[in-house]
Amino acid sequence: MTRTAVGDPMENTPVVLPAIIFMCYMIFSGVLYAAPETEASAEPVVITEAPIDVGAELEAILKKNNKCLKCHSREKVKTLEDGEEMSIQIHREDFAGSAHGEIACVSCHTSIGNRRHPSKSTNIAISSQRDYSVELNQSCRLCHDKKVKQYEGSIHFSMVGQGSTKAPVCTDCHSAHAVETMKVYQAETGFPCKKCHENIFTAYVESVHGSARTSGNVIRDEHIQAPICSDCHQSHDITAVEIGDTLRSECFGCHENVPLLHNQWLPNAGAHLDIVSCAVCHAPFAKHRFDLHFFDNIAQVPVGQQEAYKLFQQQLQEMEEAGGNVDPLAVWKLIEESNENTSSNISLRGRMEVKSGVWAHQIAPKSFAVRTCDSCHQAGKRQGLGVTVSVPQQDGRVQRFETDRDELSSVGAVESISDFFAIGGNKNRFLDILVLLSLISGFAIPIGHFTLGKMIKEKLERGEQ
Amino acid sequence: MSTNNPGQEQLSSWKKTRVGELYINPLPVRIWHWLHAMGFVALILTGVQIRYTNLFNVLTFETAVKTHNWVAFAVIANYFVWLGFYLFSDKITVYHPELNPRKFFEKAFKQMQFYSYGIFKGEPSPHKVQPYDKFNPMQSITYQIVMMLIVPVQFITGIMMWDIKRFESWIAMLGGIEVIDTVHVLIFIFFLSFTMVHAYMGALGRKPSTHFKEMFTGFEEEHEDWDQ
Repeated sequence: MTRTAVGDPMENTPVVLPAIIFMCYMIFSGVLYAAPETEASAEPVVITEAPIDVGAELEAILKKNNKCLKCHSREKVKTLEDGEEMSIQIHREDFAGSAHGEIACVSCHTSIGNRRHPSKSTNIAISSQRDYSVELNQSCRLCHDKKVKQYEGSIHFSMVGQGSTKAPVCTDCHSAHAVETMKVYQAETGFPCKKCHENIFTAYVESVHGSARTSGNVIRDEHIQAPICSDCHQSHDITAVEIGDTLRSECFGCHENVPLLHNQWLPNAGAHLDIVSCAVCHAPFAKHRFDLHFFDNIAQVPVGQQEAYKLFQQQLQEMEEAGGNVDPLAVWKLIEESNENTSSNISLRGRMEVKSGVWAHQIAPKSFAVRTCDSCHQAGKRQGLGVTVSVPQQDGRVQRFETDRDELSSVGAVESISDFFAIGGNKNRFLDILVLLSLISGFAIPIGHFTLGKMIKEKLERGEQ
Repeated sequence: MSTNNPGQEQLSSWKKTRVGELYINPLPVRIWHWLHAMGFVALILTGVQIRYTNLFNVLTFETAVKTHNWVAFAVIANYFVWLGFYLFSDKITVYHPELNPRKFFEKAFKQMQFYSYGIFKGEPSPHKVQPYDKFNPMQSITYQIVMMLIVPVQFITGIMMWDIKRFESWIAMLGGIEVIDTVHVLIFIFFLSFTMVHAYMGALGRKPSTHFKEMFTGFEEEHEDWDQ
């Protein structure tokens, strides 16, 4: 059938047909969409021709996205609702070379596929680049559901939910269009963690792990690779590390003979490994703190952010706002009251930690590890160290309240914080007084008895005379 | 040596006899006593070093803890020498020659009077030492409390602190590690003065060295005056 066939509606409209063809061309080439953007922009969009000398292979890869790239391969920016200018240029080579090179743009930009291209004419705007990235996180789920679910259990996701503008979404680590394969995530570059955690990455590079990784990439028996960030922290389900022994388990994952090695010389090795974080001894220049946290004795885990414990946080906040440090004994009384009123069995537990994530990554070779017990078990050496009471937050991080160091040595601490005790370190002052009295008695009783006897004898002798 | 001594016949059956002397402290008791004494002194000294690292620096903390642990296990093993001897010999009666509380307290009161006044006047001890009636009432009650209650509690709390992980459920049940340590330290405080007073009273014999010699030889002079 030809267009001149009887009944063809176009037959009587010779002017409309070219117009429709032109419109279709404009729509699918993206020009129509691009035009309103230039209107919406505060400044005129600078349009330059993209390089066209791409190879046939590249063209083949990008074939299905040609319509989009016709506009978006050009250097252009879009002014967003928040006034920020966002580049909407897609570099053809980068995209073609990415892990997503053969995927159609609309597979991720589904709303555009549904003819909801942001533009003035469609009355669809982008509030901010950040909002757009957060929104498009859901597109990743279409193919990477498992990873997105893992991410949704992460500290990063929680922070995004709390309104953080810095916590990463998928594209912050993986890039929006130049999506790389896993192979690029190497310790040597620190990508992508270093983008936000540069100080920590620098500490890692200088550590025994980082230096092993960068100098041959092997450690120990030449078959075990030194860890990179994700080996300990995971890639997507990255949790806060401030409570519990998540990371200790990671250490033990490679250093499986740690309990055995420590048992050979360290008295109460098991208790030390429970209470003292690895970095306290293995990052010899780190500064330390004592952290007291709420512990569920029935479930044998640190408590989470259950409703009941918000009361603790509130009370701690009030104590802090009232001025001065938080009194751990007052906190303990709160717990006691809570335990009495409910069926829970909560106590305060202590843990010795390094003060920052940077120090946690400055793991030195074994020969530099702290092996002097005095550093913890000598009272005077720990006076300068801070003590905190920490309350878990919804995202797994903790809110820390400075507390009174002296309270750990009081009589009340015997009952309240009885699980956190270092012989000699936070010894009870009351017992010290008793020790002194006992020593005095040990001398005074014999001397007194002897003196009394002498006096009685002299008196009796005088009487006899 | 009096001829109407009720322990005389039993004494004659003993291998060791000396004229004018009673064989009061058999070899196992003497071995136990002096090992126990040395062990206690070592435990007190290492204990002080462990607790007061900031005041004394004779041993490193690590060495003090390890020494304390090894000596403690030796003292525990030695305790069973004492316990075994008294459980499996007829000498257990030295702690309760007569199961008569009224008589016991009367004698205890007299013994206290002796120590606080009579001893200075040169009066004889109201208690007459015999192989089957070795201790005066004050010694008897003190040593029983010490050996059957205080020392075992000290052993148990010490063992718990030796391996906190292994005994963590027991420790938790008893109130936590600081409670255990506090009990251990309170008993140490008691033994600190007890050991000093015990050594002083050991010097209250006819001569200051009398009772010490007796505890080495096992024989006591058959006198009716001084008592430890």
